[in-house]
Amino acid sequence: MSFRRGDRVEVYRKSQDEHWQAHMDRFVGLHGIVTDPDTVKNDPEALIEVTLDGAGTHRFPQDCLRSLKDS
Amino acid sequence: MTKPVCPVADTIERLSQIIAGGRLEPARCRQRAEEILKLMEDVSSGRGGPEHIPAMALLASALEEEGPDDACRKTGAMLTSVLAEHHEVFKSHLDTQICPVTDCARLIPSPCQMACPAGIDVPSYVTLIGQGRDAEAIALIRKDNPFPWVCGLICTNPCEFMCVRGRIDKPVSIKYLKGFAAERAMSDGLYKNPEKAPSKNQKVCIIGAGPAGMSAAFFLALKGYGVTVLDALPVAGGMMMVGIPRYRLPREVIDREVSMIEELGVEFRLNTRLGKDVQFEGLQAEGFGAFLIAIGAHDSHKLGIKGEGEYPQVVDAVSYLRRVSLGDRRKPGQRVAVLGGGNVAIDAARTSLRLGCQEVTIIYRRSRSDMPANEEEVEQAEEERVCFSFLTVPVEIVGENGKVTALRCVRTELGPEDQSGRRRPVPIEGSDFEFRVDAVISSIGQRVDPKGLESLEHMAWTRRNTIKTNSISMETTVPGVFAAGDAVVGPATVVEAIGGGKRAADAIDRYLSGIPQPKMRTVPVRRNRLDFIEVPASTKMTLQRPQMPMLNDERRRVTFQQVELGFTENAVREEARRCLRCDVCIRCGACVDICRNKMGVDALQFGYLNFDHREPTDFRVTAERCILCGACAANCPTEAISMADVGEERILNLCGTVLNRLKVERCQVCGKVVGPERYHDYITRRMKGITPKSQKGVLCLDCARETSARRHAEMAPPKLTV
Repeated sequence: MSFRRGDRVEVYRKSQDEHWQAHMDRFVGLHGIVTDPDTVKNDPEALIEVTLDGAGTHRFPQDCLRSLKDS
Repeated sequence: MTKPVCPVADTIERLSQIIAGGRLEPARCRQRAEEILKLMEDVSSGRGGPEHIPAMALLASALEEEGPDDACRKTGAMLTSVLAEHHEVFKSHLDTQICPVTDCARLIPSPCQMACPAGIDVPSYVTLIGQGRDAEAIALIRKDNPFPWVCGLICTNPCEFMCVRGRIDKPVSIKYLKGFAAERAMSDGLYKNPEKAPSKNQKVCIIGAGPAGMSAAFFLALKGYGVTVLDALPVAGGMMMVGIPRYRLPREVIDREVSMIEELGVEFRLNTRLGKDVQFEGLQAEGFGAFLIAIGAHDSHKLGIKGEGEYPQVVDAVSYLRRVSLGDRRKPGQRVAVLGGGNVAIDAARTSLRLGCQEVTIIYRRSRSDMPANEEEVEQAEEERVCFSFLTVPVEIVGENGKVTALRCVRTELGPEDQSGRRRPVPIEGSDFEFRVDAVISSIGQRVDPKGLESLEHMAWTRRNTIKTNSISMETTVPGVFAAGDAVVGPATVVEAIGGGKRAADAIDRYLSGIPQPKMRTVPVRRNRLDFIEVPASTKMTLQRPQMPMLNDERRRVTFQQVELGFTENAVREEARRCLRCDVCIRCGACVDICRNKMGVDALQFGYLNFDHREPTDFRVTAERCILCGACAANCPTEAISMADVGEERILNLCGTVLNRLKVERCQVCGKVVGPERYHDYITRRMKGITPKSQKGVLCLDCARETSARRHAEMAPPKLTV
């Protein structure tokens, strides 16, 4: 999945990536907007910036995010 | 996943139930419980002070020890335990005026403030700018971000993505308002540093003078630390200075904001590379108590194609932009190919045009819609006549006599989707061609350059080649060494680096003061709760986000002048009036619910309340239907909606937006204000069939009661049956 700026996403699960830390568990289930995707080459491994509704702006591995385009 | 519960709100709920349930019978005990409840409600509503927590603890302890009965002792023990266990949360409510789990209605932060990685109190500074108080707005921003002017020009503005106004039409232009206010405050000589705390006689060394390092320097200097910043470059600013072209961010803007940090006593040692000019051990010997590594991500990935390392005319975009920023204005060639589809590729291409290259082409292997660069950046490049060659893959750099002559490419077509979910470019057989160029700039990604950090052998690195840190405290695996910015997350945004630097400063302060590090991300601070700016509903709906005036295309092609010219003062003040003040209105929907479902009026068309399910909004509808009953205002938990009589009018106001105003009627007997006619009609309709309509016209309650009482005196009261 390639994420673009302004895409609405959900943190739908914990990530297995080493960047995921225990305090991020509370973000699972929250919705947000991609505010800074990988603007170089859309690398699926890159950490991307997501602003969560009411829970701040954070960098996430992409495997824990899914698009809400179709919802 | 269960939502976390705020211990403040939860204790208020439990204590209210205990009191209301009559379980605390002794009067003294009940009085103490009620006093604690009142103090707790103060904490929950932003009215508390530092004395509230000890006062509650004292009362709880008295309840527990003096009883006199079991219920009182148990209640006291429960409260003592809550106050001890959640002391940090109670203190955080008082210090930040924010309830992070959003249970305390008056302390719910605005979405824009929560979105800002630096945690700036956006609604407050937008309101100040709307009132023309630019310098105060900048002073407020600088409590959280030492670079308001820089961010006012180049921030990626996550705040605007979360702006609730964007659910109605377009988000408030928060970034440009900040830029205007900073420029105005600087121009007026009112851009000032806050007071420093007394010296702590402790020193901190920061490696890297980019946004993360300098933000940490700013906050540590304010806390009273002696701060020294080292940087390998001859100028301070990091990627802001050598990665962002001058036509987007003039050097003077960075220089002025850096000089404000220098004025706080921060020492800059430029042209000083760790591992080359200084060693870590040497710095430790200088007596620095803590270190922050904020070296950014200044290295580039390689193309990996034939000819890449053979010609001096093949450069990476990061090095190229750096040399241009540092004053080398020689053009790379006449016909330049820029390889890549991201923002840095666009910057490199637009910079090349400005240096006088005849033709600049961005070569990208997928289609235009797949380009990872921001759409507005691509559009601006197109306006400046940068050429694009899509669905093209470079395979070899060709040259002769040590000079590049061409780029051999193949055409591609989009095949099946790859891992990233996008259609993969597949080379078309026999489509090779030579693209005549004399310079090639590669822009396929940046990475951290770990050179110089070898002596920190216990410092752990991630598989992305970034420094492994705790993302709350920014601690690395080496005690006393912290890290922030791109060195931690890879190439990211300026405002994220600023937020990281601010967190690192807090963590270093805790480390040097012997205070444990937090377990959760720091909560942003509500800096103010300002009065609303009054705007009629029709104006609120019709004000449009202004368009940014731009430098003309011709001048953009030949000079490094700033492309975005800035808003006019009038546009700025008007734009600030579009803000919905989400620091006060928490979009709980209580007003809409009571108006629609209880009163049956349905006068509040607020379709922006829900993040996921948006409906149309029109503040003007209220004036058509509202009866000014005041039920919405009475049920608003944050006083976002208010109703007041002003002169001969009753006015309904939502965070400054005048939703409805109607002439009030007066009692025909005593002259007291009794409300608007529309409200009377509504009451009359509801009472129809229950009580006869008064023949005396409009009466206030007292006069109506008096009239009825006279009539009742003539009647015998009904007999009561027991």
